[in-house]
Amino acid sequence: MIPDAPYGTLIRTRSLWGNAVRRLWRRLDLRVCLLVIALFTAAALWGEVVYWRYRLRDQTPPYNRVDMSRAYRPPSPWSRPFARAVEALGPRASRFAILRKGIANLFEHPLGTDNLGRDVAQRLIQGARIAFQVGIITSLIAIPIGVILGLIAGYFGGWVDDLIVWIYSTVASMPGLLFILAIAMVAGKGLKGVYLGIGLMTWTGLCRLIRAEVIKHRDRPYVTAARTLGAGPVRIMFRHILPNVFHLVIISFSLRFPSAIGTEVFMSFLGIGVQGEPSWGIMISNARLRLWHGMWWEMTAVTVAVFVVVLAFNLAGDGLRDALDPRLRTGDTP
Amino acid sequence: MILYSLRRLLQLIPILFGVLVVTFILFNVAGGSPAALMLGKNVSARQLEEFDEQRGFNKPLFFGYWTATRAYESHREVPFPPGWRQVEGARLERDRLILERAAEVPLAFAPRAGLLFRWTVRYRTAGVYQLEWSDAEGENRLDLPPAPRGRTVSLLVRSGGEGGDGRLRFAPRSEREPPLEILRLTLERRMESPWDSQFAYFLRRLLRLDFGESLATGQPVLQMMREGIGPSLLLMIPIFFGELVLAITLALFCAWFRDRWPDRLIVTVSVLLMSVNYLVWIVMGQYWLAFRWNWFPLWGFESWRYLLLPWLIGLFSGLGGSVRFYRTVMLDEMYRDYVRTAFAKGVPLRVVLFRHVLRNAMIPILTQSVMALPFLYTGSLLLESFFGIPGLGYLSVNALNSLDVDVVRAVVVIGTVLYVVANLVSDICYALVDPRVRLK
Repeated sequence: MIPDAPYGTLIRTRSLWGNAVRRLWRRLDLRVCLLVIALFTAAALWGEVVYWRYRLRDQTPPYNRVDMSRAYRPPSPWSRPFARAVEALGPRASRFAILRKGIANLFEHPLGTDNLGRDVAQRLIQGARIAFQVGIITSLIAIPIGVILGLIAGYFGGWVDDLIVWIYSTVASMPGLLFILAIAMVAGKGLKGVYLGIGLMTWTGLCRLIRAEVIKHRDRPYVTAARTLGAGPVRIMFRHILPNVFHLVIISFSLRFPSAIGTEVFMSFLGIGVQGEPSWGIMISNARLRLWHGMWWEMTAVTVAVFVVVLAFNLAGDGLRDALDPRLRTGDTP
Repeated sequence: MILYSLRRLLQLIPILFGVLVVTFILFNVAGGSPAALMLGKNVSARQLEEFDEQRGFNKPLFFGYWTATRAYESHREVPFPPGWRQVEGARLERDRLILERAAEVPLAFAPRAGLLFRWTVRYRTAGVYQLEWSDAEGENRLDLPPAPRGRTVSLLVRSGGEGGDGRLRFAPRSEREPPLEILRLTLERRMESPWDSQFAYFLRRLLRLDFGESLATGQPVLQMMREGIGPSLLLMIPIFFGELVLAITLALFCAWFRDRWPDRLIVTVSVLLMSVNYLVWIVMGQYWLAFRWNWFPLWGFESWRYLLLPWLIGLFSGLGGSVRFYRTVMLDEMYRDYVRTAFAKGVPLRVVLFRHVLRNAMIPILTQSVMALPFLYTGSLLLESFFGIPGLGYLSVNALNSLDVDVVRAVVVIGTVLYVVANLVSDICYALVDPRVRLK
């Protein structure tokens, strides 16, 4: 909107992206969400570093090291070693010494250990690594398929459009979770099946959105101008139209991340996902059995981690959608 | 209206075809050999062949006269089967086989009588060799002339007859022939009709509703599914309707208090509910409500009491998402012109909500509900396996874990067909309640 201004004055305008960033940053809850996402990313990257460090040295990483003498240790504030250490210091111990013991203990197993004496905090970080990988790699499979097919269908129309619409209606009319599981079964156990299953089944929504948007843009003056200047269809699609519909990609990415994480948790819980490494689903399935023995901390840690990350992505995705595409607004941001 | 329905029905056919092709590719092509997957590694080729024959996997995929046989398998990666290692006088190199004296082609088993096979040999030699085989027509012999630059020979063999098991022998004409290099050797079986393919077999069995037998239990899959559908529906129908009613009520409530604190509270709570992982609902419900507080039975399927906890969990886990969806639908309607007009002429909020908004919002609600119907059939994979409800979800999870391909395929195919049909029904309902759709 151009405000009322005398003719000829220079009006400072902001781009769509600048506007969106400002609108996102203005809200405190979204700032917190972005912080959580940043922390999650950092944890995932740190997990990657740890993983490769031990893998290249061919050692058992600490999150897989079994040590029965440390099994079933609760998180530090509840753990017995701390109480014992304080007792050993005697009644006249200085507060400083107690504090030092406490801190030393805190860094040993801040979230306790599981039934095999493995550190829960380190396993949680590895779980973040797997979740992050799943989110990124499934997006790398699904988003290019959706974007390219959507652009081609919308731009060319005609029989190409019919063909692509047929393809995505076919994929969209297959029950998602069942097919994801079936693809994973066919691809074999391990992360590859999870990537392929989720990636190949979830591109249809984005494809449909992009196609509809490109159809609107196809005959806009800027596209006609580009065509008049002799730009080929590939150049028009990717250099001219794509930047104008790219917000859809960003929104779709931020909204698919939490659902990919949820699906991964579900699949590795069923034993189809990653093998031999801790992921959140595997931790839940392990912690579930120990819950009956009173080992509450592993379950709590994973639950809270999944909840916080998914919530942050959900809220950030909604906020992003409101900021970038007012027409898609759900209208429910308070 | 009838015209519209018919048009929609016609559009259904390509989609149904596409879905069947994808399912077929998924299970018959991408999955590798189902026989090896199911029978394990330590089985003989004959067992694999019998398995394939029983399930129609020994046919060409889509179309063709020639198909591979497990009696003599050669692929690009393994051009000569490992049986050659036991043959005296044969030397295996990376991409060729060198024969220094007479040798018989090692077959994994003697093929069934009465089949037509084709051997294709590409060889290179400076000497004179002979091919000998016995088939339904008796002993046969073919001279392989010297071919220093390589030559391809193919011969048709009909298995059967007296001692005619289709075995092939390479024999040098004399003692002192230079060695024979075999570059390629393949055996193919001829199909009687090129249309007799795996895909045709797949479709034919689908039409007959023949889904094969479960590998784990040996029961017909269809019977297993018929037994499983009852418990699944018992579990899912109350969840479905409960959620529908509760979510619409809450959404109307939100619309009533639009942008005031009850609305914001409900929205916040539903976003929070949405973010709780499904597994966590189940594990926590089982631990606290069933195990600690002993309000519900934990596991089993004996009386309606066993369904209470799964109902509750199913209801709550889906509630967040549906409240948000229906609230969006309601609020979309709330900003329409007709609502403004109604308010302007003094219609009270109650009447606007229930008579105007709810009626118009019924269209997306109807679509959404009809589309959710096929999921009632699969039940909930997790709820059923956690609470021991012997429904289709339980069946599928077990089948996935034990790689019971036939069961998984049956569940997937039926689920997909139901989904496509529900899509059609929802479109027709849409057209029924909203005449504008028909005109497009």
